[in-house]
Amino acid sequence: MTDAADRDEDGLPTLRVLGLTKTFGDNIVLDGVSLSVSKGKTVCVLGPSGSGKSTLLRCVNWLERPDQGAIFLGSTRVGFRNAGGGILMTARELAQVRARMGMVFQHFNLWPHLTVLENIIEAPMHVLRRPREKAVHTAETLLKRVGLIDKRNDFPSRLSGGQKQRVGIARALAMEPEVLLFDEPTSALDPETVGEVIAVMRTLSAEGRTMLVVTHEMQFARETANEIVFIDRGRIVEKSAPQLFFASPQTERARQFLQRYSVR
Amino acid sequence: MGAGVLKGGEWAIRRTGGSVIPAMTSADFISLLQGAAVTVALSLAGIVIGVPLGLSLAILLWRRVPLAQLIVKTYVSLIRATPLVTLGLLIYFALPAIGLQIGPVTAAILTLAINTTAFNCEIWRAGLTDFPKDQIESAQAFGMSWPHTFRRIMLPQVARTCLPALVNEMTLLLKGSPAIAVVGIVDVTRAAVRIGANTYEPLPPFLLATALYAAIVFVFVRAQRWLEGSSKAR
Amino acid sequence: MIRDFSIVLENMDRLLVGLMNTVLLSTTGIFLSLLIGVAFAAALMSENRVVVRPTRALVDTMRCIPFLLLAYLVYYALPSLGLNFDNWTSGLVAIVIYNAGYMAEILRGVWAQLPRESIDAGSAFGFYGRNLYLRIILPQVVLAAIPMIGNQSIQVIKDTAFLMIIAVPELTHAASSIQSKYYVPFAAFISAVALYWAMCSVIEAGVRRVERIAQVRR
Repeated sequence: MTDAADRDEDGLPTLRVLGLTKTFGDNIVLDGVSLSVSKGKTVCVLGPSGSGKSTLLRCVNWLERPDQGAIFLGSTRVGFRNAGGGILMTARELAQVRARMGMVFQHFNLWPHLTVLENIIEAPMHVLRRPREKAVHTAETLLKRVGLIDKRNDFPSRLSGGQKQRVGIARALAMEPEVLLFDEPTSALDPETVGEVIAVMRTLSAEGRTMLVVTHEMQFARETANEIVFIDRGRIVEKSAPQLFFASPQTERARQFLQRYSVR
Repeated sequence: MGAGVLKGGEWAIRRTGGSVIPAMTSADFISLLQGAAVTVALSLAGIVIGVPLGLSLAILLWRRVPLAQLIVKTYVSLIRATPLVTLGLLIYFALPAIGLQIGPVTAAILTLAINTTAFNCEIWRAGLTDFPKDQIESAQAFGMSWPHTFRRIMLPQVARTCLPALVNEMTLLLKGSPAIAVVGIVDVTRAAVRIGANTYEPLPPFLLATALYAAIVFVFVRAQRWLEGSSKAR
Repeated sequence: MIRDFSIVLENMDRLLVGLMNTVLLSTTGIFLSLLIGVAFAAALMSENRVVVRPTRALVDTMRCIPFLLLAYLVYYALPSLGLNFDNWTSGLVAIVIYNAGYMAEILRGVWAQLPRESIDAGSAFGFYGRNLYLRIILPQVVLAAIPMIGNQSIQVIKDTAFLMIIAVPELTHAASSIQSKYYVPFAAFISAVALYWAMCSVIEAGVRRVERIAQVRR
C-alpha cells in the first residue's frame, strides 16, 4: 500500500506491528494483528467496543506485554534488545523507546499535582533532560497552538475535558516524538468539546505528523486518515484507503459496523 | 562465659567474671504471665466501659441534644489530644487532691476508660451519621418509635459497620496500656523491665512480652473475624 | 486552685522546656519516620520478595507492639548488642523506627488505591524506577495521605509522653516534677493537657491548610 515516497530515510516505516497476539486468561484479545505506519501518515484503527483496539495501542509502547509478535519503532524492536526478540530490554532502555513515542490517552491521564505548564515540561525536563528555559519555551509555543496559553498556571482539576485533552496532546508533542499514539482521544468527552480536540488532530495530521489513531470519530477518519484498519474481535478484518472503506466495504462485518455508526 | 541450656522451663545460671547473676527463672516467667493477665483485665475493663459509654455520648451528639453537644465535643477534643501517661498522672494525683482517694487499680481503669470512651464516641458518631436516612424514614412511616427504630434497625447495622474501627481502637488501647505503670500497676511491660533489671539480660523478657502482646492482639483480631462471620450469617 | 495555677505560672520556664523537648522530639521523629516510611513503602510495593518480606515483617511488628516496649528495647536491650544510646536518643530512635512502620503502611495503602492513569502516563512518557516514584507517584500519594499523616503525627506527640518513664525531660515529665515539688497536681497536669491540646490543634489546622492546597491538585 505504501510507495517509495512514504518511506523513512532508512527505508523502514516509522512504526511496524507484526503478528501481535495478546491473551488475557482465556480471552484472545488480539490475534495476529499486523499494520504499519509510514512517516507523515495517519492510520486510523476502527472497530466495535471490545475489539482489542485499546490493547493494541497499549502493546505498542509496552504498557501491556504482547504474548506473541513484534513491534518496531524504526529499526528498534520495542521491549527487546535484539531484533530477534530473545533478550528483554532493561527498564532504562524501554523508557528510552517510550520517550520516542507520544501517547494521548482516552482519560487524558494528566498529572493532577502539576499545573498545565508543568505537565508539559515534566517529561522533556526529567526524561529527556532538556534545560528548563527550552522546555518552557516549547511548552508555551505548544499551548498557544492548542489555544490554552492562558491556562498555563491552572491545575488539571480546573479544566474541562476538551481542555485537558488539548493539554494532553501538547504534552505528547513536547517530547517531539517520532510517532503519536491516540487512544480514543475523544471518547470521554462531551459532544460539544469533541470538536476542539478533533480540530487540533486534523491540524497535526495536515502538518505531516506520523499518527496512529484509535477512534470512533468516523468523519475524522474518513477525512484525515491515509489508511483505515478495521479490527473486530482481535483480528484485522479490513485494511484499505478511507475512500474505499467507507464507500464500499469489502466484508460483511465492516458493512454492519458502518451501518451502526453511519457517517452523517 | 557460656550461656546455659534450657532445662525444663529454667534457664541455667550464667557466670560473668566469676560472680553469679540469676538468669530468667520460671518464677519470672509466671510474673510475666501475671502482668499479661493484668494488662488484659484492665484493658478489658476499659473497653467494657468505653464502648457503650462512647455509644451513649455519640447518640447525644447525633440527636443534637443542646448542652451535651458542647460538653461532649470539648471532652472528646481534649481527651483525644491527651497522652495516656499524662491522663493517668492527672487522675491518680489530682483526684486525691480534691478529696477522692483512689487506688492504683481504680485510677488505671478510670484512665483507660476515659481515654477509650472519647475515641469510641468518634467512631460511633461517624457510624451513626453515615447511616442511610431512608431506612430511618421508612421505619418511622411504619409508626416505629424512636427507641424501637434505634434498637432493632440502626444499632445492629451500625455495630457491624463500626466493628473494624472499634476493634482497632481496642488494640490501640491495649498498646497504650503500659501507661498505667505510672499509677503503680505492674503490667506485662513493667514486669519485663523488672526482670531485665534483675537479670541484666533485658532481651529475653522483652521479647517474651512482645510475643504476649502479639498473642493478645491476635486474639482480638480473631474475635473480630468471628463476630463479623456470625453477623453475616443473618 | 488559683494559687496552684500561679505556682505553675512561676515555673512556666520548666514547663516550656518540657514543651520544647516534646516539640523537638515529635517534629524530628515525624520528619525522619516519614522519610524512612517513603523508602519502606517503595519496598513494600516492590516485586522483589527479598525486599518485600523483611520490610513487611518489620512494619507488622511495629503495629503489634506497644511503643513503650520498643522504647525500652532500644534503651535497655540494645546496649547488650553494643549500641548504647542515652535516653533522649533512645526515645528518638524508638519514635523513628515505630512510626516509620506506620507511615509506610499509610503510604502503601494510599498508593494501592491511586488510580493507575497518571502512573501509566508516567511510564508511557519514559519515566521509570526511582524517577517514576519520586516525581510522579510519591507527590500524589503524599498529597492524598495528608490527613492520615496528620493523625499519625498527633499519635507521635502523644507517644513522647511515654518517654517520661525513662526520664526524658519532655512535657509530662516537666509537669510531673512541678507537681511533686509544689504539690499542685491538678494545675500542673491540666496545664500540660492544655499544651498537648494546643500542639494537636496546630497539627489539625496545618492539615486543613494543606488539604486546601491539595484539593485542587487531585
